Amino acid sequence: MSDKDKTHFGYREVDSDAKAGMVADVFHSVAARYDLMNDLMSAGIHRIWKRFTIELSGVRRGNAVLDIAGGTGDLAAKFADIVGADGRVVLADINASMLQVGRDKLLDHGRHANIEFVQADAQYLPFPDESFDCITIAFGLRNVTDKDLALRSMQRVLKPGGRLLVLEFSKPRNELLSRAYDTYSFRVLPLMGRLVAGDADSYQYLAESIRMHPDQDTLKDMMEDAGFARVEYHNMTGGIVAVHRGVKA
Amino acid sequence: MTGGINPTLHTGALAALEAAINRALALAPGANDSLKALRDKVFALHCTAPPLDVYLQPVAEGVRLMGVYDGPVTTSLRGEASEFAALASAEDPAAALINGKLELAGDSGPLLELQRIIAGLDVDWEAPLVDALGDVAGHQLAQMLRGGFRWGRQAGSSLLRQAEEFIHEEARLSPPRLELEDFYRDVQELELRVDRLASRLSRLRRRLRDKREQA
Repeated sequence: MSDKDKTHFGYREVDSDAKAGMVADVFHSVAARYDLMNDLMSAGIHRIWKRFTIELSGVRRGNAVLDIAGGTGDLAAKFADIVGADGRVVLADINASMLQVGRDKLLDHGRHANIEFVQADAQYLPFPDESFDCITIAFGLRNVTDKDLALRSMQRVLKPGGRLLVLEFSKPRNELLSRAYDTYSFRVLPLMGRLVAGDADSYQYLAESIRMHPDQDTLKDMMEDAGFARVEYHNMTGGIVAVHRGVKA
Repeated sequence: MTGGINPTLHTGALAALEAAINRALALAPGANDSLKALRDKVFALHCTAPPLDVYLQPVAEGVRLMGVYDGPVTTSLRGEASEFAALASAEDPAAALINGKLELAGDSGPLLELQRIIAGLDVDWEAPLVDALGDVAGHQLAQMLRGGFRWGRQAGSSLLRQAEEFIHEEARLSPPRLELEDFYRDVQELELRVDRLASRLSRLRRRLRDKREQA
């Protein structure tokens, strides 16, 4: 098998064809307690990161928004309020369990009029060209097997002038913070995962996949290579997380 | 973009402030109805000291506060934090806007309407107390708090009035407002007369020079 057919799954090198299934197993395992774990792991700060992403998106009333790897629907719920009855929000996730949790949560909160739920692979988005004013992918890109293919697919379905927002873990800018973050990721997170979600391995994968994800400047280059213009990024919480924004020319 | 402040801190602070404002608006009868007319208008507040940008947008649930906004803005204000505070608490916001140091761009009407709604908020603090403590205890605590606030407000305004009277009339440390306005009017009149005299002198000087040249 050639190197081209290999990819990373955390620190392990696995067959490209196998990664999607392995990531799916991770998320099937954590879906039920995903929101609770997010709040615990980030001390609630993930809500602030998502809020800043929504501000940068510039989404307005009447827009069409695609939230890829939308999981439990945090971003989709906010976008549904902003775009209003004239707009459209599509919550897409490759994982049926996560989509089910998100769908149930949003429907329980009475949000259904302008939200659609689609099980879709970010690499092969099942939408016509130039369908959306904005696409967001929050904490999802690092799990995609071929990130370049996914970015090109997003570029295809965006309208000209539309924005792509990638919110993802990144590289801390400060050495001291980086060390503290490593200790937290590899010692505290798996323990927390075992105690709360009953699954230490999935949270070990989370920590490893974050380290293997491209840093801020590499991801910026990847977005430019995929055809996005005016690509910029904002570091948050010392670079632990970064939000990249690019515009379809 | 966020005025140079860390985006996480800025966004977190705005989220907390937004939650507090919306909680207060939910307890103020009619506040959200009053804000309906301003829905989807965007007010940009650019604070220069400390450097901070805030965008305020009335929405269905109250108000939305943002640190970043790229779209068209209804009204934009730029100035220092103290000047924003002075405008928010002014009895006559239109006069405060005209006489203050804040730079205004866009439509001032919706901004004055927003200031009027904020100044007129009558928050019903009894509702959450009754929810938490029950009808009797909640009502009694609310009565006590209301009485305390009323006394505090009356004492404050009475102290302010007396202090103003002492400064203006007794100690004569500062002139009363009307006297000051009279003085400004006199200064303006004097400035006008001096300008006229200066232009008359220059006219006479020019005429004298012309006559000298002719001779």
